[in-house]
Amino acid sequence: MPGPESPPGRVGSDAGGFRLSNNAKEFRVEAWGYWTPEVISAFRRLSPVAARKLSALGAFVFDAKELKPQGIDGQEALRELFRMMAALPFTKGSVFAENALARMQLTRLVRDAGLAERVGFE
Amino acid sequence: MGLADEEAAAKVFHAFYEALDDLIQSKPLTKMESIWLHAAHVSSAHPFGGWARGWDEVWATWQEGAAVFNCYKGHAERSEPIGGIHDLKVSVCGDIAIGTSIYKSTLYMSEGPIALKVNCTNIVQRDQGAWKIIHHHTDQAPPDWQAAIGRMVQRGHS
Repeated sequence: MPGPESPPGRVGSDAGGFRLSNNAKEFRVEAWGYWTPEVISAFRRLSPVAARKLSALGAFVFDAKELKPQGIDGQEALRELFRMMAALPFTKGSVFAENALARMQLTRLVRDAGLAERVGFE
Repeated sequence: MGLADEEAAAKVFHAFYEALDDLIQSKPLTKMESIWLHAAHVSSAHPFGGWARGWDEVWATWQEGAAVFNCYKGHAERSEPIGGIHDLKVSVCGDIAIGTSIYKSTLYMSEGPIALKVNCTNIVQRDQGAWKIIHHHTDQAPPDWQAAIGRMVQRGHS
């Protein structure tokens, strides 16, 4: 849950959340843990707004090093973002994932969104 | 009582791996779902990935496992199970039973068969008279096995 003690742009808790940062050069999503319904709802609301600010010359970075495999609703929120990114122009896309099962989940979602050719896994 | 408990718990451990076989072969997840205690204190760690803690996280990993293996067709023409446990030892302590064993499996990929042999620990808790899984832990699979599964997911077929 967003709270007054949360650092700017940080949504959720240590157990699960995300942070969005964007400028003309980069749209960065940092995601961690397992998402609650509140975090999922916030991600669905905030991520499209942040993604639209990315210019055609910018990069899309999804830092999921600490993200756990998500349930159905969390996957759907990520799928929506990846589908939106597939329709946006950007120069380079990168996904960072360390949890092997989460990495497979993201690989599948990226592939299904038609982003596999534009996003590399680091 | 003691021996009966050991046998009852052992039956659940074997049933768990039958449910795992179903999952890998894209059959319904009903057995896997019903064999677990749906509680906040359950936990799991698979041959790939990290810890899942609490039923929501644990269930998400099984759902993802099913999605991963949805593109595995190597057993479509085979009748033998993909894997199973060996050398199962069960220890019962009150309403908790611990099972240690060795899981062996073979997957038939287009690039050739890949075998897995890992130590695993499962714990069941007696809940309303029935033994339910509350913990599942397996050694991490060797990197080449994990890489083969990753390639399968990337290309969308086994």
